[in-house]
Amino acid sequence: MAQTTVNSVKVAVEGMTCGSCVQNIEQHIGELPGVFHIQVSLELKQAAVVFDSSMQSPESLAEAIEDMGFESSLPDFVTAE
Amino acid sequence: MKTVTMGYNQVFVPQKHEFYVDMTCEGCSGAVTRVLNKLDVKFDIDLPNKKVFIESDKDADELLETLKKTGKTVNYIGPK
Repeated sequence: MAQTTVNSVKVAVEGMTCGSCVQNIEQHIGELPGVFHIQVSLELKQAAVVFDSSMQSPESLAEAIEDMGFESSLPDFVTAE
Repeated sequence: MKTVTMGYNQVFVPQKHEFYVDMTCEGCSGAVTRVLNKLDVKFDIDLPNKKVFIESDKDADELLETLKKTGKTVNYIGPK
């Protein structure tokens, strides 16, 4: 029996300017398999994602956002804060 | 590079395609720009009219799929 491992990650997202960008990402990424919850913040320029780590990884989520035309990076790789 | 045969023109002329893309702000058109930049095609975005013009020898379906990756509503209007 496969075990579900719930994980959460905050992905930095660049290039969003309005509410429709936010909604668009929330809808699109929220539909991906293994994604339980996503909350995108325009002010913080980040997406907080709760996901099943057997189906998604922080890298795959960042890549999915990248594919949509936004620049995304994982906090671990961001040196300057 | 041109390949022209007698009486029959086989030159691949990049076709200009017109698409409707539901963009509401610069962030939206920026997303479209980034996605198209990866594809290496010539394009032009008309944000106020929600239109995207792409000059490419790729077929319209492929371009449509690429535009749909942005998650926005996309329609193919036709060649231009």
